[in-house]
Amino acid sequence: MKKRLYYLAFGLVAIVASSCSKLDNYPAPSNIITGETVDAGTGNTVQTEIGGRGTRVKLLETSYSANPTPYYFQSMQDGTFNNTKIFAATYNASVEGPFVPLVQTDSTGKVTSDQSQNITIKGTNTVTHLNFKVEPFLRVDWVGQPVFNADSTVTVQFKITRGTTNPGYQQDITNINLYVSNTKYDGDNNYDPRYSNLVSYSGTDGTSLIGQTITMTTTGGALPQQDVYFRIGARINAGLDEYNYSTPVSVKYP
Amino acid sequence: MKRYIYIVLTILTVFGSACRKVNVAPQNIIQDPDIFSSAPGIQAYMARLYSELPIEDFRYSPARGLNFFWIISPTPATTGEALSRDQTNAMQENFGGWNWDIWGGSYTVIHDCDYFIETLPKYAGSFSKDQVNAWLGEAYFVRGMTYFALVKRFGGVPIVNKTLDYTVGSSTDALKIPRSSEKAVWDQVASDFDFAIANLPAVNADYGDGSRANKYVAAAFKSRAMLYAGTIAKYNTITLFDGSQNQLCGIPASAAAGYFQAAVDAAKMLDGVYSLYLKGWSATDKTAQYQNFVNLFSDASSPESIFVREYNYPNSVHGYDAYNVPRQLIGPNGYSSEVNPTLNFVEMFDGVPKNANGTIQNLDANGHYLLFNNTMDLFANAEPRLRASVILPGDVFKGESIEIRRGIYTGSAAGGISPLLPAGSKSQYPTANLVQSANAGQTAFTLPDGSSMNPAGASGIFTGDQTCAISGFSVRKWLDPNLATSQVLENNETQTWIEMRYAEVLLNRAEAEYELGTSNSANITDAYNIINQIRSRAGAIPLASAGVMTIDTIRKERRKELAFENKTYWDLRRWRIFDKEQNGTIYRVLMPFYSSQAGKYFFDARTDERNDVYTYDPRWYYEQIPGGAISKSPNLIQNPGY
Repeated sequence: MKKRLYYLAFGLVAIVASSCSKLDNYPAPSNIITGETVDAGTGNTVQTEIGGRGTRVKLLETSYSANPTPYYFQSMQDGTFNNTKIFAATYNASVEGPFVPLVQTDSTGKVTSDQSQNITIKGTNTVTHLNFKVEPFLRVDWVGQPVFNADSTVTVQFKITRGTTNPGYQQDITNINLYVSNTKYDGDNNYDPRYSNLVSYSGTDGTSLIGQTITMTTTGGALPQQDVYFRIGARINAGLDEYNYSTPVSVKYP
Repeated sequence: MKRYIYIVLTILTVFGSACRKVNVAPQNIIQDPDIFSSAPGIQAYMARLYSELPIEDFRYSPARGLNFFWIISPTPATTGEALSRDQTNAMQENFGGWNWDIWGGSYTVIHDCDYFIETLPKYAGSFSKDQVNAWLGEAYFVRGMTYFALVKRFGGVPIVNKTLDYTVGSSTDALKIPRSSEKAVWDQVASDFDFAIANLPAVNADYGDGSRANKYVAAAFKSRAMLYAGTIAKYNTITLFDGSQNQLCGIPASAAAGYFQAAVDAAKMLDGVYSLYLKGWSATDKTAQYQNFVNLFSDASSPESIFVREYNYPNSVHGYDAYNVPRQLIGPNGYSSEVNPTLNFVEMFDGVPKNANGTIQNLDANGHYLLFNNTMDLFANAEPRLRASVILPGDVFKGESIEIRRGIYTGSAAGGISPLLPAGSKSQYPTANLVQSANAGQTAFTLPDGSSMNPAGASGIFTGDQTCAISGFSVRKWLDPNLATSQVLENNETQTWIEMRYAEVLLNRAEAEYELGTSNSANITDAYNIINQIRSRAGAIPLASAGVMTIDTIRKERRKELAFENKTYWDLRRWRIFDKEQNGTIYRVLMPFYSSQAGKYFFDARTDERNDVYTYDPRWYYEQIPGGAISKSPNLIQNPGY
């Protein structure tokens, strides 16, 4: 009886092990796309949000089909991107985010301007560098460093300017927000209501602040004694209403 | 030899006879003639179409979809109407978690309608012409409703108005139908409803109780759909085109007026056929107005109910009361208080004392809390419709005073009580001078006069668990005051869902008229008259003049009237203000406290103690087309941002 069980077990192992022998007959993708989304006006990368509401790279594998299903991957929050698992193929590449779209259409859907890039990736382990020059809706720049107040709140100063003169993207500013976080991954997706209030503007109220030095202070009393990062987000009512951001900055707790 | 011949003969007989019937329909599968040649067969077909009709009823929630029994992340807790312990943020519909596939399921319903429309005429001889037309009208109605359910979620979708045949082994290219423009789908909805209006009788001959369509039902839904399309054309800013310049998302603004006019025309068809429920109403009696509004949702003979979904135990049931009764009336399943109206919602109503900025007035001129003998004193003049929609702290339901109290404040009351927290603070309440309760098992507190009182009310608010009125309010609408607590169970209720009532048709018309109108035009006057009809039935103060109306007046009236009916979710979407209202938003709550020193109650208005932040992503105005649908038909273009 015991012997029979051993035979059975041995048989099972043989069957299970043999089923492992079929390897995927297609080599894993190994080509690399790196690059950045750059503000055409300043040369800085365009700050964005991590996750689904920030800049993403769009690849259309045109060598597979004239009308392929798009493949997207997300940019990092500093505006750079990197993907190490790209198949060799011909692609049409572009980026989507809080800036004037690279592929613009008029109100009837006719393409009026197309700054997407066609790239051909061959072989294995090849590195392709992509540089997209875009016009962000808004630029958010710090004015000086954040200041620790006596009551352990922090006051920041910054300036907002338009990043484009395109007449289709001159909508009013709807939000200017200060975000406070204990990591540099600071933005609307992980807004912490304890330390700042979001500010919405109606009509031209927000737009009239363009070019001025704006001052904001954290709320909710003393900040906790830990690393703290500040970031400003602002947006206009265009496209998917994504935010343009300042760089994240940190201040030492005194 | 002779025997041999016999054998051959036998074989021939056996095989020969077996050859006779070759084309026999399988006896174990129901065939078209079984269904389409008799009225009961048609009845069975209709039962399926109506059961799959995609409407957001008692068994809908964005988290779990249509026709699902478990409603613990209820729709009002995604719109700001209410807070729920199981819903802590803004959300889009969670198609991945739905039991019923919105894409595949809707196209199955559309296929079933198409099949019916193609097949019934072949059997027209069995019925009268009117019968055939009426049933065809119903199939068009169901198809229009299903396209409506798709287009309001996805924008333009494939239009499939015939059954598709697939032969095994043939190419599937012809089946991969691309998306039509959003406008084309709205026009499809309109034309299906138009066919239904033209062919359906005034009263459905099979079921005249509003559970199946008649021509006015189709007209009512047409007014809803056309208003939806008009507002998309006017307010939407997200656009998507395919390679042939079809606008898959968004409608040209120039089409708005046409849709608004179609909404008005459809709504006017119901004039004189249905009316607002006023059976127990009295112009001078607020209690009667309250009771009238309560009864509107349970009176089977209400002239206001246009289209309803009926339930039947045990085949088709729901559990609305089980999930939503106040904590102190909890049923045997252990659920309660899933829908707790926010202070933001309550502040929309008249008759609540308010500050100049529209927030509730809970402080006196010196900044101290106003004190009350009873919690209901604050709401003594509340609009009757508010009481019929929301259980206010201390109001009576099922013969019990619903006790809602956050805690007992033991600090000094001499010279007035100052706010427990600075205005706008999102901090927890300081625990000094505050007696509170973690859950429903409470330890009574001895008051200065020697009597004892539980720290929290019987329906909350508890600090440890949230099975209570976390906002300071509990929902009233739809609750059945006659349902015994032992029967407050999941999968046990059969109360009728009113999907379309005349008040909505009037509000559709008022909104469309206002959108069409210029100042002092006939459109504006019509809108004004309607809003005042709604307001006077509700027991609210009528508007003084048409001139004080704005679009927000009309929208607010709609939100108050149709609250907790799963309509506001779609209104906030089509007005494209969801992302403005839910923009890092923490909803407001009203916490009643008892001051042991003063022997009176006071109220603290603050933001949700849980600090749950609602942020609506503008991408969600167009839902993500399920990945599986795109894999099957790569011609489908995904909506923007996904």
